Amino acid sequence: MKGAIWVCERDLRKFVRQPFVMMSALVAPFLMLVLLGNAFGGSITHVPVAVVRYSQGKYSSAYLDILRTEQSCALGGRVSCGNTFHLIDAPDLETAEQMLKQGNVKAIVYIPNTFDGTLSNDGNGIVTIYLDNTDPLSAQAASGGFTNAANQVSAQIQAGTGHQPNLEIDLADFYRRVEYVEFMAPGSIVQSIFVASIIGGGISILFDKQRVVIEGYLTTPLKQYEIVVGVLLAGVVKALFSSLTMLFLAMAIAGVRPMTGVTGFLLMLFTIFLTGLGVISMMTAFAVRAPAPEVYQFSAFPINLVLYFTSGAIYPIEGFPEWMRRITVVNPEAYAVHALRLIMYKGANLAAIAGDLAFLAVFTGIMVIIATLAFKRAL
Amino acid sequence: MSIAVQISNLTKRFGNLVAVDRINLDIQSDEIFGLLGPNGSGKTTLIRMLTTILQPTDGTAKVAGYDIRKNPTEVRESIGVVSQAMTLDIELTAWENMDLYAKYYNVPREIRSTRIRELLKVVGLAERANFTVGSFSGGMKRRLELIRSLVHHPKILFLDEPTTGLDPQARNAVWEYLKKIHKEEQITMVITTHYLDEAEVLCNKVGIVDFGKLVEVGTPNELKRKIMGGDVVEAEFSTLPDEAFNELESSDFVVKLNKRDNTLTILAKNGAEAVPKIIELVNAKGGKIRSVTLREPTLDDVFLHYTGRSIREDTVVTKKKFVSTWAAMRR
Repeated sequence: MKGAIWVCERDLRKFVRQPFVMMSALVAPFLMLVLLGNAFGGSITHVPVAVVRYSQGKYSSAYLDILRTEQSCALGGRVSCGNTFHLIDAPDLETAEQMLKQGNVKAIVYIPNTFDGTLSNDGNGIVTIYLDNTDPLSAQAASGGFTNAANQVSAQIQAGTGHQPNLEIDLADFYRRVEYVEFMAPGSIVQSIFVASIIGGGISILFDKQRVVIEGYLTTPLKQYEIVVGVLLAGVVKALFSSLTMLFLAMAIAGVRPMTGVTGFLLMLFTIFLTGLGVISMMTAFAVRAPAPEVYQFSAFPINLVLYFTSGAIYPIEGFPEWMRRITVVNPEAYAVHALRLIMYKGANLAAIAGDLAFLAVFTGIMVIIATLAFKRAL
Repeated sequence: MSIAVQISNLTKRFGNLVAVDRINLDIQSDEIFGLLGPNGSGKTTLIRMLTTILQPTDGTAKVAGYDIRKNPTEVRESIGVVSQAMTLDIELTAWENMDLYAKYYNVPREIRSTRIRELLKVVGLAERANFTVGSFSGGMKRRLELIRSLVHHPKILFLDEPTTGLDPQARNAVWEYLKKIHKEEQITMVITTHYLDEAEVLCNKVGIVDFGKLVEVGTPNELKRKIMGGDVVEAEFSTLPDEAFNELESSDFVVKLNKRDNTLTILAKNGAEAVPKIIELVNAKGGKIRSVTLREPTLDDVFLHYTGRSIREDTVVTKKKFVSTWAAMRR
C-alpha cells in the first residue's frame, strides 16, 4: 500500500511544479461562471426600436413617453434596472424596415395617421408592432413591454377622464419565428472556425516549430511569403471545412432552417472565409510567438470562451452588462455571428452586412500583417 | 577538379560570443568533407550559414558557385540539407514525404516519380514506399531523410550529425549508403560530426573545428602523419606526482600530453625510444606506472594535438549529464 503513496507523491509534486496547469484548471470554469452568469443573468434592456409616427396627438405622445421611460429589471438578489427600449425616430416605414433588416433595430413601432383622431372619437386606435423574431429572446421581452405600455396609457387616460380608450396593440411577425436553437446556430458555426484554428492551425505550427520543420523550409527554394501564405491558406481550408460541417449538422440534426439562396450561401462562405483568415492569423501569430507551447495550449481555451460568450451567440447583446458589451464591440466573432444571422434568417444581401464585413476585413487585414511579421521573425 | 564550397573569412557573432571565427576553407567537389569538433565548437553554425539559414556577421562563402549572401535562392536550389533533427512528417507515407519535397524544389512531374522510385531503391525502402513514416525504425527514418534531400539532384549535400542517436548497425548502414550515393550521384558532401570513427570511416578530408576556428585541414592520414613522430604512448599509472607531469611536459621527446583519470596519453616523436625514458622519469620522481601501450595515432590524438583536449572529454560529459538527468527523472 506504501507504493500508492509514492505514486501519489510523484503526481502531486509534478502538479505543484506546473502552476500553469493549475491556473488553467481554474481559469476556464471561472470564466464560464462570470461570462455565462452575466450573459444570461441580465434583463434585456435598451432594445433598439424604430418609431414611425404619422399621428401627433396626445395619445400617441403618452404611449411613446411610457415606452421611453419603461424599465426592465433583472430578477435575483442584486436588482439592476435599465430602460427597456431605446427609441429611434424613422421618417417612414421603408427606412424602418431597412433598419430592421440590417439588424440595427429589433422592432418597429408604427403609429398610423388616423391613430389619435380615431381614439378621440371613441374608435379603435391600433399601434402596429413589427417584431424581429430572428432574435426570439429580445422579441419576447419587447412584446411584453409594448403591451404593458399600452395598458398603462389606457389606465392613465381612464384615471384622468373616466373614460377608457380602445387602444390596441397589433403584434406582427416581420420574419418567421426562429427557434432558440436556430438563434444559437451561427454562434456555433463561428466557434467551430475558432476551434479549428486552435487545433488545426496553431497547434500544428507549434509542433512544426519544435521539430525544426519550419526552419527546414528555409533550405528549400520556398520563399518566406509562400510559407506564410501556405500555412494560413491551409488553416482557412480547415476552418471552412469544420464550419460547413457544423452548418450541415445544425440543419440535419438540430432542425436549423436557414432561408438562404445561392447568393446567401456565397455570402456565408465569404463571411466564414474572412473570419477564418482573421482568426487563423491571430492564432498563428500567437502560436509562433508564444514563450512556451504550454502558454498557447492553456490560453486557447479561455480565449475561446471569452470570444464566444461575448459575441451574442447565446443571448442578445442587449442583455449584457456594460463591461461585456465593451468586449463585444471589438470582438470579431460578434460581427461574424451578426452577419451570419442576418444572412441565414433574414435573407440579407451584401449591403445589409456591409458594416460587419468591413469590421471583419479590417480585423483580418491587421491579423494577417501581424501573423506575417511574427512568422518572419520566427523563421 | 572544381571547388564546390569556397569559404572566405566567414564569421558569425551572437552578441559577445564568436561562434564562427574568420574561417577560410575550400572544399573540392569530389570530397566527403568532415567538420570535426565537439558540441558547441561552431560547426553547426557554420553549416547553417552555408545553407543560407543564418546571415553571416562578416565574410562570405560561395556554394556551388553562388554567393550565400547575394544569391541565397540559387544556393538553395543547388544544395540538399539533412538537419540534425528529424523533420519528416510521420503521418504521411515515405512517398508523400519525398513527393512534397520534390514539389518544393519544382522537380517536374514526369521526373518526380522515377527519381523517387530510384532513390527509395538505393536505400532499400522501395517496399515501404506507401507505409506511413510513423511505422519506421530510427535508421529507416534517417535513410529516408537522406534521400529526401536528393530529389532535386543537388550538387552538394550538407549533413548535420547524420548518425547521432542511431545504433551501431544503423550507423554503419547510413555510412555505406552515403558512400554509395557519393559515388553514384557524384555529389559533394559536407558533414559535421563529433564522432571520430565517423570522420575516419566516411570522410576523405577532415577539418578540425574548435572554439569557432578551423584548426587544421587534411585527409585523415595526412593529419595523423602531421603529428611529429606519429606515435602515441598510453601509460596507466597508480601514482603520478605533479612534478613528474611537469617534467614530462617540458621534455624534448614529448610533443603533447594529456592526463585523464589514471591514464597519460603522450604524443611522442619516437614512441619506442620514449617508453623507457618516460618510465625512468616517472620512477625518479616517485611515481608508479602500471602499464604502457604503444599505438598508432587516431583522430582523437590528432584532435588532442591541435586543441590540447581530447574530443572524448566532451562526449563523456554529455553522457554523464544524460545519466544524471535520467537518474533525476527516476527519483
